Amino acid sequence: MLRYLLKMNLDLNNFYKHSTKIIKGSIIDLSDIEFIHPWSIVMICLLLIERSAMSDKKLILPTKQETKSYLKRMHFEKILNELEYTEETKTLNAIGITTHLNLNVQEITHCLYRDEFNARLGHFLSMFTNFGLNEDDAHRATALVGELGNNVFDHNLGNWPTNVVGCIIAAQHYPRLRKIEISVGDPGVGFYRSLKVAFPKIQNDLEAIKLGLAGNTGRIGEVRGNGLKLIQQWTIQNFCGEVMIHSGEGLVIVAKEGMKEYTVNKILGTLAQFVINYN
Amino acid sequence: MTLQMLKFGNILNSRPAGREAVLRAKQIMNGSTDPDIILDFSGVEVLTPSFADEFTKGLKDIYKNKTIKFQGFEKNNVISDTLTALHLL
Repeated sequence: MLRYLLKMNLDLNNFYKHSTKIIKGSIIDLSDIEFIHPWSIVMICLLLIERSAMSDKKLILPTKQETKSYLKRMHFEKILNELEYTEETKTLNAIGITTHLNLNVQEITHCLYRDEFNARLGHFLSMFTNFGLNEDDAHRATALVGELGNNVFDHNLGNWPTNVVGCIIAAQHYPRLRKIEISVGDPGVGFYRSLKVAFPKIQNDLEAIKLGLAGNTGRIGEVRGNGLKLIQQWTIQNFCGEVMIHSGEGLVIVAKEGMKEYTVNKILGTLAQFVINYN
Repeated sequence: MTLQMLKFGNILNSRPAGREAVLRAKQIMNGSTDPDIILDFSGVEVLTPSFADEFTKGLKDIYKNKTIKFQGFEKNNVISDTLTALHLL
């Protein structure tokens, strides 16, 4: 019975609700997962990066074949291979799928460098159009992805905590809900370390995230910081959506109704997502 | 002097790209005595705030006596919104 109850649709809320069942030291356990949203996929990528140098690292893949096929469709085996999760890579490689099975996903994209990220923006523009957004909304959504990616490289260049660098992007379109989720994660220094230099009085990750969302930058002597403000404004006003940011052990969710903040499991770097609701 | 922004790309993103574009623009405008710099966004699909901020600030630093004007963005609400958010319109 307990096992039955744990079968879960791993969206943002369920991830945090069940994080202790998923994160077990060097082991990441996805055995009970039935569906994984982009937020959780990128989160798991960050958790795997953090553990990639551990000798006893292990990923327990979902038991359900359909879920494994979905991960294969998301090209999850590529990042597993990069991080040397050898057995897990073999398991997913053995699954045969047709790429056209699900046109409503944006497979996991790991852009190591800024130029690579910029070069892929044209692909994201096409992706949003293929998902059904009109031209105006597709332009706006691409600009939002661009700003999230810019933040990754602007604040981590020359300062990555591990040997794994870059940003990881995944997206899912839910046509019946007319909703798109786009997640961008990075194993970088995070908001706190990025802002602490310019704002030495900040005490924790939540304070740092809120400071960043208010348009402050950690880059001393430079006038900037419009990106995150516009991401919130456009997501809420133009897409009736939400912006979520998890950095360190802080999680902030911004929506039309206001801002909510939580202390959650600590991660390396930052995970950000914006949700688009369209007509 | 009119700068065709499409020649810098149809998706204009990031501060480093904006800085590089300023350096190119300086070469293109070399010797121009026109009091206005007109940025023509015809054909550009995406302009992010990072690029726009870096590019316009860079031009203003070099050409303090010139006026920067914008055109060709009228059919693109996102470019218009970006320029408005940066108080450039």
